[in-house]
This record gives sequence, structure tokens and C-alpha cells, in this order.
Amino acid sequence: MIPSESDAALMARIEARDARALGELYDRHAPRLLGLARRILGGGGEAEEVVQETFLFAWRSAASYDAGRGAVLTWLLIATRSRAIDRLRARGAGSRPPLRPLEDAGDPPATDDVEASSADREWRAICRSAVGELPAEQRAVLELAYFEGLTQQEIAERTATPLGTVKTRARLGLMKLRERLRPYRRSGTDAP
Amino acid sequence: MPHSERHEELVALLALGAPLGADAAELERHRAEGCPVCEALLAEGREAATALGASVDPAPPPAELRVRILGALGPRRAAPPPATPWRVFAAAAALLLAAVVFDDARLRRDREELRSRSADLAGRLHNAETALAERTLRARVLESDDMQMMRLGGSGPQSGARGMVYWSPKARRGILMAGRLAPLPPDRQYELWVFQNGKPVNAGVFDADASGRAVFESAPFPEAEAQNFAVTVEPRGGMPAPTGPIVLVGAPA
Ligand SMILES: [Zn+2]
Repeated sequence: MIPSESDAALMARIEARDARALGELYDRHAPRLLGLARRILGGGGEAEEVVQETFLFAWRSAASYDAGRGAVLTWLLIATRSRAIDRLRARGAGSRPPLRPLEDAGDPPATDDVEASSADREWRAICRSAVGELPAEQRAVLELAYFEGLTQQEIAERTATPLGTVKTRARLGLMKLRERLRPYRRSGTDAP
Repeated sequence: MPHSERHEELVALLALGAPLGADAAELERHRAEGCPVCEALLAEGREAATALGASVDPAPPPAELRVRILGALGPRRAAPPPATPWRVFAAAAALLLAAVVFDDARLRRDREELRSRSADLAGRLHNAETALAERTLRARVLESDDMQMMRLGGSGPQSGARGMVYWSPKARRGILMAGRLAPLPPDRQYELWVFQNGKPVNAGVFDADASGRAVFESAPFPEAEAQNFAVTVEPRGGMPAPTGPIVLVGAPA
């Protein structure tokens, strides 16, 4: 097997209008982006539309990707999350899918055929355990903000917690997450 | 204001993508003074927040999604301008016709609908976008008999940026054409401000394309009279009042 090109090399080809490179980027990351969009928006067609918008954004805006600021996957996840949250907010508060904690998701299906590489699987396991090790109340604040796009006031209402406590939990939870992930930070352009 | 734990709390919420609401201005003021602690926290916090997204189970996409996406790449800059030249803006017309960055909900819906079909629709998609963009822009502003214009110059971090606003007090809308805009990170957008009664009023957010160009039809202005225009960099989705650096600003006559 030919060793695969780095994500950053693919981005350079995409910037040069190489549609095949976008196809490769898609094959590599679409399942994770769709997983994230579905987590935010639920199972309907909207999640797929978000993934489509994200790759079209990558196609149009490849030049705005800056390797110094993080991995390609991070960039794609941020773009997917913000588009999915925009749609969620546009739907209005009434029709939000209920927040599904990670534990309740059950064991993930065998993902060997879905995920591009063992490095990806490994990185997901690291992130999953880092999130899972957070104290439940801090994790709830992080997940409500990230997956449901709630404001601090909305989080306070939803969790029946004073606003000041929400802020403290956001700060402590995110700092803990950062510390847990610190040993794995790779400054390179490839893995997150 | 010196750095405090309170700023770190706001930075954490910002990194998580939570709208700060009334607290946004406070944090922006603090960051504007240049706080290395907050900047480092924000960068690392954003990366850490992404772990939430990266921890989700992947989902196998349906096979046709790939076809749809690659099909939608289609011709981005085809379609020569139609024979009828525009009365006033021969040069601007070319730009307008090439415009795909155009923030109109109806157009966006049309575009999404078309995109969701198949590859051979790419050409029609482009034509539909062009026609809609052209019709709406012309009808609202460029053909109004009270059209006015103002040149915008680059400012601050983007002194090379250039822009032109055409607006109609009667239509209470404007069209911004800008070039040489810097690419922004995915969580930031350009925001257009119209100055009315001496105050900047949000006139909508937009993105520049990969070559730094944007053609953008503003949101409706609350008042008819516009004294000046400016563009700032703001968190994606925009802010109710300017918080980021000014990158384009006009010089009122
Ligand atoms: Zn600070």
C-alpha cells in the first residue's frame, strides 16, 4: 500500500483546485464529521447537508486553512460544529433533540470499516476517555455548550445551577480537558 | 482591566462556542488590551473543545453524499455576462455575476435544494444563483433612482483591503463589494456596519471567498440615512455592536 499523503498535503492540492484531493479528504474524514453533525442535529438529512457544506467550504476556503493553528481535522470539526449549531439554533429551542450522554450511546459499532486509520481510532479513544473522566457536572456544561450551542444563561436554566457556577464549571472542565490531552498534542500538521 | 479568573471563565465559554451575550463586550475590551494569558487559553481551549467533537462515534455516510459533494464543485466561474451591460457599473457587473457569496435566505434555500440533487445539475445551479443574485441586487439597489456610493479603504490589520458600498436610502439596503480581504479562521466572519444617527448598526455578516473577494447584500437598514460604513472581524454569526478590529471604513463626504 502506498503511504497516504498527509492531510496538509491534501489541503495544498485542494487549494490548487484538485477535486480528487477533496475526494480523498472526504474519504478520510466524512464519517467523523457526519457523526458529529448527527450528534448535534439528530438523524435527519440535515446532518448530511452540514457535511456537504463543510466540504464545499473546504473546497472554497482551502487557502484560509493555516497549519500553524491546528490540524486539518480540527479545522473541519470546527466548521462542521458551527454549521450544525447554526441550523440547530435556526430550528428554535422547541425541537431540539434530547442531549444524549456518551455512555448512553452504548458500545460503538465496529468502526474498522468506517474510520480511515488506526491513528484516527486511537485519537477518538483518547478524546473519549478524556471527556469521560471529567466530573459529571463539568462535563454536562461542556456538552450543553458544545453540542447544543446553549448560552451560559440557558445552561444555568437547564441544569438549575447558578450562572456563576456554570462559568466556573466551564473553566475548570475545559482546563481539565486541556491537561488530559496535553501529552498527546502534536504540533505537526497531520494528527490532531 | 487586569487579567482575572472571570476573564478565564469567559474565554472558556468562548472556546466552547457558547455565545457570551452581555459579557462579550467585557471580554473583547480585555482582549483588545492584549492579554497573552487569555489568547493562549483561547487557542488551547478551542483545541481542547474539539476533543468533544472528536469523541463522537463516526457514522458511515450514504454513498451518494460523496457524489453530491464532488458534483457540486462544478463550474464556479463560467457564464459570461449577458449582452445587456449595466448602465452604471460595467466593471462591477463582472464581479456581481461571478458572485456566489451572497447572503440571502431564499437564494441559499434554492442553492441547497439544487445541490442536494445530482452532479449534472451543477450548471443549472450556477445559472440559478447568478440569475437570482443579479435580479435581487439590481432590483433593490443598483436600479433604484436614489442610489449612492461610498469608497471604503483598508484599515488596521488589513490596510490593503478595498471596498465600495452602493446603497439606496429608499430601499434601505446596500451592496458591498470588497477585495483583498484576508482569510479568516472558521469561527470568524466579516460584519458590515452602517452608521446611522452617529452609531454603528449591524448590517449583516459575510465571508470572503478564497481569493479575498466578497459581494454582499446588506441586511435592511433600520433608518434611511446612512452616514458611513465599516467592516469589522467578529465571531461567526456577528455581534450586536462592533468588537473586533476595523478592516474597512469609509470616509463620509
Ligand atoms: Zn486575560
